[in-house]
Formats: sequence, C-alpha cells, structure tokens
Amino acid sequence: MIRNVCSRRTAALMALIAAILPIAFGTSGLSVAWAAPVKLLETGSTLLYPLFNIWVPDYTHTNPDVQITTQGTGSGTGIAEATSGAAQIGASDAYLSPAQTAQDPTLMNIPLAISAQQINYNLPGIGAAHLNFSGPVLAGIYSGTIKNWNDPAIAKLNPGVNLPDHEIIPVHRADGSGDTFIFTQYLSFTTPSWKEAVGFGTSVSWPAIAVGIGTNGNPGMVQALKQTPYSIAYVGISWIDQTNAAGFGYAALENRAGKFLLPTPGTIASAAAALVGKTPPNEAISLIFAPGPNAYPIINYEYVIVKGKQADPGVAAAIKAFLTWCLSPTGGGNELYLTKVHFIGLSEMVRKLSQAQVERIGQ
Amino acid sequence: MNWRYLQGHLAIAGAWGCVGVALLPLVHMFAIVVTNGERALSWTVFTTVTSGIAGGLANAIAGTFMLVGLGAAIVVPLGVMGGIYASEVREGRTVGAARLAADVLAGVPSIVIGYFGFVTMVTWLGWGFSLLAGSMALAVIMLPYVFRATDLAVQQVSDDLREASLALGATRIATVRGVVLRAATPGIVTGWLLALGIAVGETAPLIYTAGWSNYMPALKLTHAPIGYLTYVVWTFINEPFASANALAYAAGLLLMLLVLTLNVTARWAIARRA
Amino acid sequence: MVSEVARLAAARRNQEWVWSLLAAVGAASGPFVLGVIMIVLLVFAWPSIVWNGDTFFTTYIWNLGNLYGGAPVIRSGYAAASGASYGMLSFLVGTLLSSALALVLAAPVGIGVAFCLSEFAGRGVSRVLSFFIELLAGVPSVIFGLWGFVVLVPWIQRTAGPALASLLGFIPIFRGPVPTGMGLLASGVVLGAMILPIIAAVSRDALRAVPAELREQGRALGLTEWEVARDLVWRIAAPGVTASCILALGRALGETMAVLMVSGNALNYLPSTIYSPISTIAATIVALLDSAMTDATGMAIHALAELAVVLFAVTVGVNLIAPAVVRRVGRQRGWVASWVTGGNP
Repeated sequence: MIRNVCSRRTAALMALIAAILPIAFGTSGLSVAWAAPVKLLETGSTLLYPLFNIWVPDYTHTNPDVQITTQGTGSGTGIAEATSGAAQIGASDAYLSPAQTAQDPTLMNIPLAISAQQINYNLPGIGAAHLNFSGPVLAGIYSGTIKNWNDPAIAKLNPGVNLPDHEIIPVHRADGSGDTFIFTQYLSFTTPSWKEAVGFGTSVSWPAIAVGIGTNGNPGMVQALKQTPYSIAYVGISWIDQTNAAGFGYAALENRAGKFLLPTPGTIASAAAALVGKTPPNEAISLIFAPGPNAYPIINYEYVIVKGKQADPGVAAAIKAFLTWCLSPTGGGNELYLTKVHFIGLSEMVRKLSQAQVERIGQ
Repeated sequence: MNWRYLQGHLAIAGAWGCVGVALLPLVHMFAIVVTNGERALSWTVFTTVTSGIAGGLANAIAGTFMLVGLGAAIVVPLGVMGGIYASEVREGRTVGAARLAADVLAGVPSIVIGYFGFVTMVTWLGWGFSLLAGSMALAVIMLPYVFRATDLAVQQVSDDLREASLALGATRIATVRGVVLRAATPGIVTGWLLALGIAVGETAPLIYTAGWSNYMPALKLTHAPIGYLTYVVWTFINEPFASANALAYAAGLLLMLLVLTLNVTARWAIARRA
Repeated sequence: MVSEVARLAAARRNQEWVWSLLAAVGAASGPFVLGVIMIVLLVFAWPSIVWNGDTFFTTYIWNLGNLYGGAPVIRSGYAAASGASYGMLSFLVGTLLSSALALVLAAPVGIGVAFCLSEFAGRGVSRVLSFFIELLAGVPSVIFGLWGFVVLVPWIQRTAGPALASLLGFIPIFRGPVPTGMGLLASGVVLGAMILPIIAAVSRDALRAVPAELREQGRALGLTEWEVARDLVWRIAAPGVTASCILALGRALGETMAVLMVSGNALNYLPSTIYSPISTIAATIVALLDSAMTDATGMAIHALAELAVVLFAVTVGVNLIAPAVVRRVGRQRGWVASWVTGGNP
C-alpha cells in the first residue's frame, strides 16, 4: 500500500520530516522526563521581576527539585493568573480588592518586601537634575490641564530652573499595572479632582491627552522614555539603575509634610515606619502618602498573590518552601538581594504576618 | 510618438522602482536581524535555557518545534482528508460548508483564536498553559491552509488519470490513494510547509495558551507552560538590558532562517510538479 | 470461489465506507471548529452586548470602573463595576485608519511589483523576485514589529515626521509637531509592508492569467509593452487585482503583534493627526485581557469578548468577498494563489 502511494522522493521527504520531530521531542524530553521536579510559574509585576530574577537562580541552585519560571507581565496579569490557577505565584504591587477576595476567599496577598516608585523624565537641557513635583501638578499633567514643561505650576515648584518650552508627553502603562495602581493612588490621595474623575486601580481610564502614549511593562516605560524626548513616566524603583544609566532625571516628590524628597533607603524606611504598624492580618494596606517629614510619598508592599487552596500538595509545599525562603533574613530577605533592586526589607511584625499567611497555603 | 515611448519607459522604470521599495523592508529586516543576532548566536544559545533576561534559547527552540509539530500532527490528517473529500466529491452541502468555513477560518485574527483557546482550554477545561492548548490553537490556525492546498492540489489532477485507473478496475478509494494522491503530493506537502511557516511565526494565540517557561519542556501535555521563539522576540526586545536584546535578535534570526528553509523546501516541492 | 469473491467485495465496501467517513469527518472539522468559536464568543459577549447596548459603538471612553470600591451597577440583569462604561469607537477608528493607510501605501507599490513580475521582467528574474516577495509574506509579524520598533519609530520621530510636517504641514492631518514616532503613521507603514506581498503575488497571478494571445494581438497592432499592459491586460485583470486588495485589507484589519509594538496604545481619544498614537481592536484585546480578568464582576471580560466578536465580524466579512474571486483566478494558475494569502499573527 505504501509502495503505491509514495514515490521514492516523497518517501524521502516524509522520512526527513518524520525524523526531525522525534529528535526534537526526544532531546527536549530527555533532560527532565526522569527527574519530574515541581514546576512553578511566577508571573506579574515588572517592579518585582528584577528581584525574582536574582532570587530564583540562587534558590533553585540549592533546591534543584523545583523549577521556577519568572515572567514580567504586569500586576494585573499576576492577580488574574494566580486567581485562575494558570500561575502558582502571582506578583503584584497592588493588593487584592474586596471584590476579588469575596470571589475567592482563599486568595492571599503576601508582602515580601517594600518598594517605591520614581517619576522619570527625558528632558533635553535638564538631563539628570532633580525637579520638584507635587501630586496635584502630576495630576494636572496626566489630565492634560498642564500641557507645557514651562507651565507656571511647574515653574513655581522649581524656581530658577530653565524649563524648556515644549509640550509634555505623559507616558502611562497600557497593561494592568501595579505601578499604575500606586501612582494613581498618590494622585487620588493628593488631588480630590483626580479621585473624582479617575480614581485608582491597576487599569484606569486615563484622561484623553492627544499625545499620551501607553506602553507595556516597566521595560516599556524605560524604552518610551528613551525614544521620546520631553516625556514623563512613572517607573518602579527596581529600574532606576537603567534610567540613571540612560541619563534621565527623577523627581523629588512632595510628601504629606510638604517637603520634596528623593526615593532613598532613608526616606523609604521613614515612610514605612509610619504606616507598617497599621498592617492588618490580611496585609492589604496602602503605604502611599505616608505622614512624617522624611517620608517618601510613593512606597508600597510588594505582594505575591497565592491561592490558599492548591490542587496538588507537592506544588503547595514547594510554594510554601520558596516563600518561606524569600521572607527569611538569611534567604531572600537578605539585604544583599534587596539593595540590588533598591527595596527595603519587612519589619519583624510584618514578616510574622506574612509567614502566617504562607502557612495557610495548601490547607 | 516620442511621448508614447517615453511614457512606456517611465512606467516600466516606475514598476521596477516599486520592486525596489517592496524589497527594501525585507532586506533591511534581514540585515538588522542578522547583524544583531549573529553577535549573540553561539553554540551556547542552542544548549542553554533562558533564565530571566539572559541565557540561551534551547527551551524556546524545543518549545517551538514541539508546539508546531504536535499542531501539525493534529491538523494534517484532518485537513488532508477534508481536502480530498472536497475535491473528490466536488459538489454538495458538506463540501460547500467546508470550503466556506476554510475561507472564514483563514480570515479570523489569531488573537481571537487565542482568546477562544484561553477561555475554553486553559480555563474551562482546566488544562492551564500547556503544550496541548497551544498546539490546538495552532492547529485551528493551520487547518484552512492545509485543507485549501489539498483541495486545490487534488483538483489539479487531470480526470484522465482517474478514469484510466477506474477503467483498469481499481475502486474509487484505491484510485484516490494510488493515483490521485501520488500526483497531488507535491501540492499537498507544500500546503503543509505553508501552514508550518505560519504556525512558527504565531505569537498572540500562544501567549494565552502556551504561556512561557524558562525550562526545557517535559513531555507533558497539560498543566505545564512551554516556551517558544516568538515570545522571546516580543518580550525581550523591550527590556533595557543588552543580554535580553541580544536574545531577542538571535530568536528573530532563527525564526527568519526557519521561514527561509520552509520557503526553499516548498519551492523545491513545486519544482517536482513538472 | 464465489463466496471468496463476495467476501473480498464486502471487505472492499467496508474499507470504502471507513475511508469516506474519515474524509467526511475531515471536511466537517472546519465548520465544526468555526461554529464552536462563534458560539463561545457570542456566549461570552452576550452580557456586554446587553449591558452596553448602542453606546459600545458610539462612544470612545473605555473605563473599567472602580474595581477597588463602590457597589456594582446592575442593568438589564448584568452587573458591572461602578463607573464602568465601555466604548470601542477609538479602537474601531484606529483599526480602520491604520488599515486604510496601509492599503493606500501598499496597493500602488504592490500593483507596480505585480506588473513588473508579470509583464516586464524575464521568466528567470521574475521567478527569483517572486521567491523574495513570497518570503516577505512569510516573515513572522513580531519581526515586522521588531523592525518597526527599532528602526521605523525613531526614524519617523527624528527624520520622516518633521520632514512631512514641514512639507505638508498646511494640511491639518500632517501638522506637526511630531511628539513621538509611535502612532498612526508607523502602524500604517508596518501594516503596509506586511500586506504588500499579498497584493503583489495575487495581482501577479491575476495579470498572468490573462491569455498571451491578447498581448500578442496588441503588439501586432503597434502598441508598446506598457500600452498593452495598461489598456488590455489591466482591464481584464482588474477584478483579480481588486480582490487582492480586499484580501490584503482583511489581513491588515486582524493584525495584532506588529501594531501593538508601534501604535502607542492610545486610550480614550480619537487620532487628530497622522502622528497621533492609536489603538487597534486586536492590539487592545491582547493588552487589556489580563487586567480585564481582575474585574470581579466579569463585565470587562465580556466587553473584550464583544470586541473580539466585532473584529471577527469585520475581518470575516472582508475575507469572504475576496477568496471567491481569487479562487476563480487561482484555479487557472494553480494553487500558488493560496500560498500568499498568508496568516494573521
């Protein structure tokens, strides 16, 4: 039968194709088919992504029975995929909403560290100098009421600075983003008109600005800054090395006490000290616009979103072990990891709360 | 008189100019992908897996082969059988419906198929990001091309061959298998290669069905995300890290080489027709 | 002996039956899959269709609402977040404008290439050039996006945009300044480059299908090569060329990845100039799908499903017109026509 259907040449072609597929299958399957390690998918916040990228190689080096894939896809994706079970660990800068916890009461948001956000700008002529910005001014820029860099509102905050006469190009995140969440919370807490009109969330309905650009991920924000002179963008602090290397300045933001501060470990810790004491057991709390003279206004907990109810006990155990390591001061919580991404660690009280939530995984 | 000839020369020059403009993006694309990609291309790229924003492409290459291979394995029998049915039966409601469906399916944007795959296979059926979900999404995308190519290739076979075979006493089925298919094979195989080329370059549907994995794929059909080359290009080109960008270009180069190979093989198969 | 023959005949009939059944299953798989997709999409889109009504198509504010507070708004039996309002007009306009621009850019060039390959170039040269054109058709769209993002966007921002603004600035849509390279122009150029090979290859087949005698008669009457092409060949091939443009339009409408990388992801406004950032329906679905899933009421997912239904309807409608004509042309020239109808990445 085969003899009749195929000519020699066709048989050769089919044999070639038939040979490639098993080889591809075989070589790929060989390495891991026997060991069958537990596979975890971590996806979500691009602000937390750089930290996971330095945690995971070290952790899997000492724990080769678990394989963790990291993805920087945005906090919205982190929450969504953790909720649906497509990913085991969702990373998010935003805590869960009451509606989300009502939908699935076993979902937990577990802080692993405290991070911050800076406002970067690409201003030819200003370069890496630090400009002063306040919440209302930023709200004006992102609503389109403040259109030009030399607007009086900006000039008032920056006396003596030669601001260029050019339109401002505000860059926002088009994907579901924890950075959007904390930035819009800052705008909402400082500017009642923004709170009314837009509010906060991982995805907001940005006011129409004829030159506003949307990008995906913190990397996208950095790229947009690079490609667009006179742009302004909100970027997570774990990317500040990249923006500094590109020569972009970042802003000194006005805090609740009226002082203009840069995001340094000192100002971040000061803001944290003011508010972390109020962390509830479910650890869903905003750290934005903290009181105190030395408090940087945009800081947040970096959460992992995990479902308490896991189908596979092996997976649950692996997640617990990994998160325990991340929280431990001798493991992931070590200063050496955190300072690389400019985060600060959790206080002892919060670490205990987080660990308590971790223990509930798999029950 | 002179104006006529001048007009002719100008028009022909214009047409050649259009060819130049048309080939410019292709040449440029190849140039940037090759120059940036070959810098990153070394043997380690084929043997190391991606880790974070650096590493190699071994997992992505294996993933692409597995996704496309499994998708082809699912769709080739269906598409070829369907094409034979349509071209042998020629008229009728099923044939009309099949041809119409193929035309419609070919026009469906692949993100719609990806969304559909996510909603049904990843979420509702509970497979999660998996090889099977990704392959089935690719199979849906490939189906109309395999079907159409088979349909047209078998139609091309002259009826004289069929009648001669039947006159010699062969059954309808034996005629199709022994005579018609043999004559139509180059066309059918070219249809496979066309479909493979399209599947290799897909991104949007795989983002929502295959997910991504930093590790070599195990032979697990469900509940295990799998990597693929187009993801690397799509994600890593945006990262402000040189290592990530280099990987993106290397993946782009590999993709272009794959497409080139498939095209060349298809041309070789066409030449067999004569 | 007779029973032996009868047994063989019965076996043959069974074999025939099995093979016919398998073939019919294969043929039915296409309609089956298509039907399932359409039903699933409609079921998912139904709550949004009911809740949003007409405003979905007439407004351009896309607002998921307050996902972190406020009571859900219930209308016609379906709930959505408070403050939510879904309007897809800006995505629709972005899709149509970018595809139209792509067609305007690609059609003349593609038809010029087709003329060259079919009428003016020799057999060997034509074959080689056709290979490269078809290679362009097979390039994955992320590579087009890569090229657009790395090369085209900076070029538009620094060189082409300002040049256009100074040359044609008196026309409102070309008025500068050029804020960024990402936008309608970049999307149109990238899409144009992607659909160019479709127009070129299918038009070439349409031109080649014109019988040679016609050309010979024209030359015998003293017409130049160009005049033969323009007055005789073109008139007969025009329907096929038009079909190629329609097919190319269908492909451009559904394109996702390349546009996502160069469009600028505009939200809540309609483009005013050719440099304005835009959003297309397909790119929006990719960008917003995950954040939509964080909406506990689920209305955001349903709204995206409705977007998918609209996109499905538009692209399928456009794609249905063209293949009927193309197949008639293609049958004369072989199956090569189907080779370049390409895929939608």
